Amino acid sequence: MKFWRLPLDSEVHSIPVGRVQIIENRCKGCGFCIEFCPNACLKESKRFNAKGYHPPELIFQAEDCVNCGLCSLICPEFAIFTELQEAKKITEDDIRKVTTRYSRKDKRFAKR
Amino acid sequence: MKEKAEIREQLQAPDSRDLRIGVYVCHCGKNIGGTVDCVKVAEHARDLPGVVLAKDSLYTCSEPGQEQIKADIKEQKLNRVVVASCTPRLHEPTFRAACEAAGLNPYLLEMANIREHCSWVHLHDKEAATEKAKDLVSMAVSRAARLAPQVELTVPVTRKAMVIGGGVAGIQAALDMADAGYHVYLVERSGSIGGRMAQLDKTFPTMDCSICILAPKMSEVGRHPNIELLTLSEVKSVSGYIGNFNVEVLKKARYVSKECTSCGDCIQVCPQLAPDEFNAGLSIRHAIYIPFAQAVPSTFLIDMGQCLNNQGIVACDRCFQACSHKCIDFSQRDQIIEIEVGTIVVATGVDVYDPTALTELGYGKFPNVITTLEFERLINAGGPSSGELIRPSDRRRPSKVAFLQCIGSRSKRSNPYCSNVCCMNTIKDALLIREHWPETEIYVFYIDIRAFGKGFEDLFRRARREGVIFIRGIPGEIIEDINTGDVTLLGENTLLGEQYRYSMDMVILSVGIKPRRDSEDIQRLLNLSTDTDGFYMEAHPKLRPVDTTTGGVFLAGAAEGPKDIKDSVTQASAAASRANILMSRGEVRVPALTSRIDPDKCTACGLCARVCPYHAIQGSKEQGYYRVIEAACQGCGACVPECRFEAIDQTHFTEAQIVSQIDSVLANDPHEKIVAFACNWCSYAGADFAGVSRLQYPHNVRIIRTMCSARVSPAWIERALLKGVGAVLVSGCHPADCHYNNANQNTARRVERFWKRMERIGINKDRLRLAWVSAAEGAQFARVIEEMEAGLQKLSPRQISQDAEKLRKSLVKKSETT
Repeated sequence: MKFWRLPLDSEVHSIPVGRVQIIENRCKGCGFCIEFCPNACLKESKRFNAKGYHPPELIFQAEDCVNCGLCSLICPEFAIFTELQEAKKITEDDIRKVTTRYSRKDKRFAKR
Repeated sequence: MKEKAEIREQLQAPDSRDLRIGVYVCHCGKNIGGTVDCVKVAEHARDLPGVVLAKDSLYTCSEPGQEQIKADIKEQKLNRVVVASCTPRLHEPTFRAACEAAGLNPYLLEMANIREHCSWVHLHDKEAATEKAKDLVSMAVSRAARLAPQVELTVPVTRKAMVIGGGVAGIQAALDMADAGYHVYLVERSGSIGGRMAQLDKTFPTMDCSICILAPKMSEVGRHPNIELLTLSEVKSVSGYIGNFNVEVLKKARYVSKECTSCGDCIQVCPQLAPDEFNAGLSIRHAIYIPFAQAVPSTFLIDMGQCLNNQGIVACDRCFQACSHKCIDFSQRDQIIEIEVGTIVVATGVDVYDPTALTELGYGKFPNVITTLEFERLINAGGPSSGELIRPSDRRRPSKVAFLQCIGSRSKRSNPYCSNVCCMNTIKDALLIREHWPETEIYVFYIDIRAFGKGFEDLFRRARREGVIFIRGIPGEIIEDINTGDVTLLGENTLLGEQYRYSMDMVILSVGIKPRRDSEDIQRLLNLSTDTDGFYMEAHPKLRPVDTTTGGVFLAGAAEGPKDIKDSVTQASAAASRANILMSRGEVRVPALTSRIDPDKCTACGLCARVCPYHAIQGSKEQGYYRVIEAACQGCGACVPECRFEAIDQTHFTEAQIVSQIDSVLANDPHEKIVAFACNWCSYAGADFAGVSRLQYPHNVRIIRTMCSARVSPAWIERALLKGVGAVLVSGCHPADCHYNNANQNTARRVERFWKRMERIGINKDRLRLAWVSAAEGAQFARVIEEMEAGLQKLSPRQISQDAEKLRKSLVKKSETT
C-alpha cells in the first residue's frame, strides 16, 4: 500500500539541510560531484567558468542536500563544500518524495 | 550408457504368453444385480480370450469375496484379475491389497465399473444395462491382458524443511517441525518475523494482546537450535521433487552485524527518513532502523533504498561513527544460499486491500478516513500515538467514529470474496474504544455481520449490549468539511429503507485482505495452482486442505484463503504434521504411473519436456535423448501424445492398453456408441457422482479412464473415428482446477487442432466433444451425454462410415506426402 499521510510524529523528526557552496572558478568539470551526489542535487550548468569548464549547479528548488559532504570529499580541486543549515520540518511533500525515490535512484543506477 | 540399458530393461513388454485371467462379477446386493444380469455377464466373460474362470458373487469386496480371489490366484494360478463391480476410486485399493496378499503384483488388477457407470444410471433398461456391462467387462479383460507388473518407486526424503514466510503461520509450522526434531529453514522477506499479527493491537474474540502472545513464540524461533532463521531473504529458485528440493535463497545484506545491541544510537544521526511500514505509515523511521521493538532477530538493519550509500560508495558514515560496538558494515553483500530440503511449507500471508481505488470514500484525500490496519497501530501502546485514540487531522480525540464494513470485499468492484476477519475485527475494535474511551459514539455500517466462529456471536452481542450502533447499509459517499476535518456519511439504511446522513469525527474503513501482490512468483516456483481469487489452492478442499498438488509442498495461513489467527495456527500445525509424516518415514512411495522414454526412439526434440507441468523430463540434444525423472513425474501422461516418434509411454496407462479398450468397445455396432475419455480426478469422478445420484442418461456411452485428460491422444480419437464410432467425448477438470497443474490446457489445444483437422477433411465436428466436468457435476456429465446422444440420432450409419472413409483417405494422402 502506498503511504500518503503525514506521519503523526512528524514534528519530532527533522531533516538536516545542507547548503552547497561551489567555488566555480576552481572547477575543472570532472562531474564527480554530479555523478555521486546520493540525493541527486546537482547538475551540470550551461555556464562556463574562467577555465572554460561547465561547473555544477544546484537543481532548481532542490532541497535534498542533507549535508553528507561527499562532494567536498571527492572533489579533486576542493571546489565544492557544504554547510549545515537549520534542520527542516517534514512535510507531506517529503513523504511523497521518499515513497517515489526508489524509482529515481534506480534510473540513475541503471544509467551507470 | 549404463543408464540407457537400465531404461531399456524397464521398458520390457509384458509377458503375454499363457494368460490366466480371472473375472469376478459382483452383484453388490441389488445395486448391480437388480439391473444387470450378472450371471449372463459372467458367462460372457468366460468366452473372452485369456479368461480361465469367471464367477459372480453377491459382495466381492466382502471378506469371503476377497478370500475367493486369493484362493483362485493360488490354486488356478491366475496372473490377471478383473473385478466388475463399483468404481475403482472406491475399492481398487481393497482388491489390489487382496492380489498382493496372494502374491500377485497389485498392478495386474483391472476393474470394470458396472455400478456407478452402468446399473445405477440405467435402472430402467435391464437389457441394455446387461449389454453395457458385458462391454465394460470385455474392455477390462482386453486391458488386463496388456497389464504389466509395476514396482512402486521409493524415493528418500531429506529430513529438513523450509518454511516460506515468517508470520504467525510460518512461525507455528517452523516450531512444530523443529520440535519434532527436524532442521527448519525459516525464510522471511522482511527484517523480522512476526508478520501481520505483530501489527495488531488485540486479537478477537478473547481480547488477548497480540504481540504479548506472539513475542514469546518469536523469540522461541530465534533461539531454537533446529531453526535457521533467514530474514531479508527471498526464495529465488526451487528445483527437485518431493523429498528432494534444492532451493536457492537470496539473502540480502543487513549491513549491521549480529553484535548489535539495539541501543538506537545510530537512529539519532541518520539523515534519511521514510514512513514506517510497521506503523502503516503513521510514523517515521530512519534508513537505519529496527522493524519494531520485539523484532526477532533483534538487530538493526539498513534500508539501502533509503540510505545515502546505495551507489556502492560510502557517502555518509554517521551511523558508523555513532555505533559504539562498530556493528555497521557497509561491505556486506547480498548472497545466494543453497539449501536442500525434503518438504516446503508455504505461509506467505496476505496484503491489505488499498481503498484508494474506491474514490467515493475519500481515502488518500481525507486525513480522517483511515484503514483498520492504521487504526490497529493507532490504538496500540507501542504505536505512533502511544495508544491514544486521536484523529490524524488535528490530533484531537474523536467523539463519533464510524466503521465501514466490507471495504474491498464482497463486491464486483473490488474482491468478490468475503475476507473473513473484518467483521470480528471491527467488533473487537469497537469494544476496545468502548473500554478505553466510553463516551465515544460508535457506529458500524455493515452489509451482513458474519460472526460464525467460537465465541464470536457472544462478542457481537456484547458489542450491541454496550451500545455500539449497527446500521445496515454502507455509505455511498463520504464528504469532508475542509474547515473542521469532520466527515459526513451519506447512504441508505436498507432495513428501514430510508436515507441517512451522519456527521462523524473519524471513519475507519474495515479493509479486506487479498493475495500477496507477488504471490505468482511462489506459485511459479513451486508449481502451485491458485483459485479464481488468487489464493493458493489446496489439493482437495475437504480432505486434503493443507496439501498442494505438488508433492511435499504444504500450505499454511492466509495464503491459502482469508483466515484469522486461530485458523492460521491450526492450519500451520496441520501442514507441519503433514510434512513431519513425510520426514519421519524418511522415504515416500510414488504410484507407478510415470512416463518412460525409450532412448532408442527418442530424437531429443524436447517437445515432451516443454509440456511437462512438473519439469520432470530432462535431457539435451548433446545427450541424444531425454529421460523422465521418475520421482518428479506425477503421472499425468501429458507428454505421451506430444511425442511424434512414439518414444514415450505411460506405465499402467499404456497406448496398447487404451487402444485395446477402444477396439473392444467398437467391436460391435460402433456407430451407436460414444467413447468417453474421462480424467480420473474430475470427469470420471463426475460420472461416478452421476451414478451415485442415480441420474439416468443414454446407455451407449463407454467410459475409458485416464489419469489426466491431457493423456488423451489424438491418435485414439482418430482410431475410434476410423472404426466408425458414433461420437467421442474428451472430458477433464475445469481449466483452472486441473489436478496436474494445468496440464489440461494441452487437452484443449489438441482437441482444437483435431477439430480443425475434421473441418478440413469434412467430418462433422460435433462428433468430437470437449467437456469440462468437475467431480461435483454429475448432472453436467449426464447432460453432455444426452446432448451427444441427441446429435448422434441425427447421423446415419452411412454418414459415419463415409466420414471414416474420408479420414482414411486423408491419412493415406498424408503418408504419401511424407
